[in-house]
Amino acid sequence: MSRQTIISITFLLHLMLAIIRPCPAMDANKIVTDGFNYWRGKASIGTVEMLIHREDWERTMTIKAWTRGQKDSLFYIAAPPKDYGNGTLKKGREMWIYNPKVNRVVKVPPSMMSQSWMGSDFSNNDLAKSDSLLLDYEHTIIGTETHEGKTVYIIESVPKPNAPVVWGMQRLKIREDQIWLSEEFFDEDLQPIKIMTAMEIQMLGGKLFPKVWRMRNVDEQNRYTQLTYRSLEFKPGLPDRLFTLSSLKQRRR
Amino acid sequence: MAWRNIWRNPRRTVLTVCAITFASVLLVFMLSFQFGSYETMINTSVKISTGHLQVQAERYREKKSIRFVIPRPRAIAEIVDHIPEVAAYTFRAQAFSLISSKDRTYGVVVTGIDPQKEVTVSRLKKLVHAGNFLSADDANQALVGKLLAKNLRVTIGDELTLLGQGRDGSIAATVVQVKGVYSSGIDEFDRSTMQIPLATFQDTFSMDGAVHEVVVIGKSLADIPGIKAKLKNALSDLDSGKPLRTLDWQELMPGLRQAIEMDLVSGLIFYGLLIIVVAFSILNTFLMAIFERTKEFGVMMAIGTTPGRLTKVLLIESMAMTMIGIIAGILLGIAITYYFQIHGIDFSGGSELLSQFGITGRMYPKLSLLSISIGPFMVLFFTFFAALYPALKIRRLQPVEAMMAI
Repeated sequence: MSRQTIISITFLLHLMLAIIRPCPAMDANKIVTDGFNYWRGKASIGTVEMLIHREDWERTMTIKAWTRGQKDSLFYIAAPPKDYGNGTLKKGREMWIYNPKVNRVVKVPPSMMSQSWMGSDFSNNDLAKSDSLLLDYEHTIIGTETHEGKTVYIIESVPKPNAPVVWGMQRLKIREDQIWLSEEFFDEDLQPIKIMTAMEIQMLGGKLFPKVWRMRNVDEQNRYTQLTYRSLEFKPGLPDRLFTLSSLKQRRR
Repeated sequence: MAWRNIWRNPRRTVLTVCAITFASVLLVFMLSFQFGSYETMINTSVKISTGHLQVQAERYREKKSIRFVIPRPRAIAEIVDHIPEVAAYTFRAQAFSLISSKDRTYGVVVTGIDPQKEVTVSRLKKLVHAGNFLSADDANQALVGKLLAKNLRVTIGDELTLLGQGRDGSIAATVVQVKGVYSSGIDEFDRSTMQIPLATFQDTFSMDGAVHEVVVIGKSLADIPGIKAKLKNALSDLDSGKPLRTLDWQELMPGLRQAIEMDLVSGLIFYGLLIIVVAFSILNTFLMAIFERTKEFGVMMAIGTTPGRLTKVLLIESMAMTMIGIIAGILLGIAITYYFQIHGIDFSGGSELLSQFGITGRMYPKLSLLSISIGPFMVLFFTFFAALYPALKIRRLQPVEAMMAI
């Protein structure tokens, strides 16, 4: 092989690589945003079974959930009967809790945002700041792997300087068809704290969607919270009045 | 002869004796004061909430999860009832909850207390400065810390919403009325605690009769290790469903024990310095005495006194002075300390550190055999060595040279 061919081949290879390798930062942002939007949809109504598992103890709740866009959510506990009617409204980064027994709405104060939500492994922050991942983090693709024959992007998300976030880093796995496979949370020392994994991807609400989500502390195998979608329906939109305090106070079924 | 020698130079002797007396008085008083203040600190601290001893579920201390409970507190009550050294005991249950007034919400540690028994164990009732303490048949009434009440902007009679998580994981919610406001002087306690009747607590948090702590107060601080051992024994025989353990105040409040240890160490350094200063001043006096009296010693040796005898005379002299000083010091020290033991020392200007341990008023020194004897004994010990050096020095004197000295 002549010297010239080698040079031209190398050149060609470089050219190809340049075409194949996309600009990583921009693309990562797009993957995350698309994945997030795919997950949330424009609006959705769903019924979720929440299983809180502990070493010596287990508890299941059924929750009705309305979500709209990236920011607004409304949750109601439908079962067990003892907790029936307890609601949570999330708007932007604020959260309110409603309890039917005392018939009061309580705003969750900032100091309580890191507390667990309804005794689960999800914190109030996990709910209230769900869109923080899009706004407060820089995303980089650090690798790929395959899952059920599809490419999965592994993305590291580092908070922007001065962003009001609780995590030091997050590592996401998003499949090429925009399905969110896992989200791992790291503290400031970049030690993994907890991980949320999606399982049982199937048709739900008219699109492929993971039916089961599990949030687990990294160092405790026997302690997790598992969300299982019993039903899910995506909607083009939901009315504004649904995401208000007075709506939170109304009992729903 | 030694006795006569002491009074040959009264001014010098009086000065030395005074130094020793002063050191002894100081040591007796300071040590008594320290021990007294520790006991005050411990007793006031334990009476705010922790008690001398607590029985808890295993792991509850590390992780205050509502699920780590004592399922059948009655069984423990029976054990405690049979320990004669126990002065009082009570049950408590605790949970972290959201407490909100009309427009404010805070995270608060809510404690369920037995209004009748609580009075015998803690000072809580005396701390209530507005409104009233809970009574036996109160339900859905609450006592609120002063700073918490301020933060929530509530006063007596206002309603508070309580939202938390019950023992079975269900949502615990209730509305309580503020019956009283308490102020302990400990900011943390006044800012983030609230007390409700135990029955209301158990009902709201689905406790099913369980509690989190059995709080025990002993008749005196010295009884605690004994009670602890008895409780431990009895608990190991008891089938309580869940492993339980007994914790004493040192384990419950490691901060308090450390503060005491630190204070004691810094105190000891100070006493050490004091004793060294006194020892040197005595050494100085004795050395001067020997220089001044070289001629005299020379004469004595010349007329046949053996050096050993001289050393003995000198030692007797110095020890006599020390003993006078120490006895005077102990007597004076006891007198002063006793005065303050009865009348107390006003600390109402109270430093931050003290109010942290709930000490706001007067401190009382406490005389004990140890606090009386240990300081003066150390003085005696060190002055003996200080006196030994000059006393041995004269053994090397030559009678002729000594007589020639000025």
